[in-house]
Amino acid sequence: MATLVVPTHRRPPAIYRLARALRWIGAIVLAALIVFAGTAAYSAVEVARSSAQSRGLSASFAPNGTIEIAGSFSLSNPGLYPIRGLQMTARIANSTGVFLGRLGGGQIDISPSSTGTIPISLYIPVSGTDAAASLLTEDQYLRVDAWGNATYAYVFPVSVTLSENRSWGAPFENFRASVGAPSGGGGSVTVPVTVTFSNHAGFPEVGTLTFVIVSSNLVDCGGGSFTLDAPPGTLFDQTQNVTLSSGCSPSGGQLQSTYSSGGTVISLPREAIP
Amino acid sequence: MSAPAPSPTSPGEPAGYRVPSLGYRILIACLRLIPSFFLLVALPVTVLTFVHSRGVALPISTFAVTAWGLALIAFGTARYILRPTRAYGPISIAASLVALLYLVYALSLSPYRLVVPGGSASIVAGYSLFLELVMIVPVIGILVGIVVTIEDARSGTERLTFDFPA
Repeated sequence: MATLVVPTHRRPPAIYRLARALRWIGAIVLAALIVFAGTAAYSAVEVARSSAQSRGLSASFAPNGTIEIAGSFSLSNPGLYPIRGLQMTARIANSTGVFLGRLGGGQIDISPSSTGTIPISLYIPVSGTDAAASLLTEDQYLRVDAWGNATYAYVFPVSVTLSENRSWGAPFENFRASVGAPSGGGGSVTVPVTVTFSNHAGFPEVGTLTFVIVSSNLVDCGGGSFTLDAPPGTLFDQTQNVTLSSGCSPSGGQLQSTYSSGGTVISLPREAIP
Repeated sequence: MSAPAPSPTSPGEPAGYRVPSLGYRILIACLRLIPSFFLLVALPVTVLTFVHSRGVALPISTFAVTAWGLALIAFGTARYILRPTRAYGPISIAASLVALLYLVYALSLSPYRLVVPGGSASIVAGYSLFLELVMIVPVIGILVGIVVTIEDARSGTERLTFDFPA
């Protein structure tokens, strides 16, 4: 050790005090940032553990020949810092990659110790020759690409991308409408029309299924209707005799079917008549 | 470098300091290596290795963390040993500059893209703004080094009276 000299009590010079003050400021800033980083990491883990949820996702027929997928996306924030500007977007394609629709919601802010909910709804056109018409009659996997953006704890921008395949149960799975052999004679010819399908959707089909027999030269030969009350998971298989218009031959024509319920009208795929 | 000789005292302004010997400072600096190594190298490398073993891609390599950590430790140790000398200011600037470069290097790696193992989800997290806030600390350290260098240039032993009071 160096030699002991007389103790001093004088005030440090200004430049020394400046250096000391800067050191203190640096130490305080560092400590504050360490505490902030630690609590932000802890809070982020808590948010991740709370797991975001898609709640009440349901599908149903909607007006204008569409299927509506509606529900809500909720995220709880048990952490110490807010989640700001949260917005979600999802893109849905069918099993062959055909784009079906896009849904999105936000932006919302989720305060600490609270839960934010983003309502989501998607209308997919399914009637006739729409790209999504196969949703009516074919069970399949839909590819859902979802992404979301938010700013967490004021300074951390976060974006999440999620891709998954979700099974889709068709409301008219394996839909078949067939015309049987004509019977009768003279001025009255009847044909049996049989409609079969399974309701693999998660909602009941209550309404009317109307069909029309169209000849090869596009003449309306006759038609009929079935009253539908098919809960999810049930098989529909009914036959009805239809009296054909005089001189009208269904051979080579097609069977056009329409499902209607309330204000909903959905055109089902046309079936060729051999 | 060796510590300067004890300051003279004047009758009207009693002053003095007691500078620890070089050997003592080296001994303390070596002891300080233990927590420094744990905080700057061992802990982050252990965390990164643990995370990597779970199949999560790392935002920064363990080699980089080790290299930058050792550099910080080396400068910190030298800074402690040289505190009673005129080299304290410049070595403080150098140490803070290394810390600043470390942060700039980490900043260049932002944002971090995390692909959840076994899943189809990925998370991209940006931390640039946070690192820019952290950069305030080494910038202040550089300022401190500059002030100390100026102070030592004006009077080589002035601050020793207060840094190492007798």
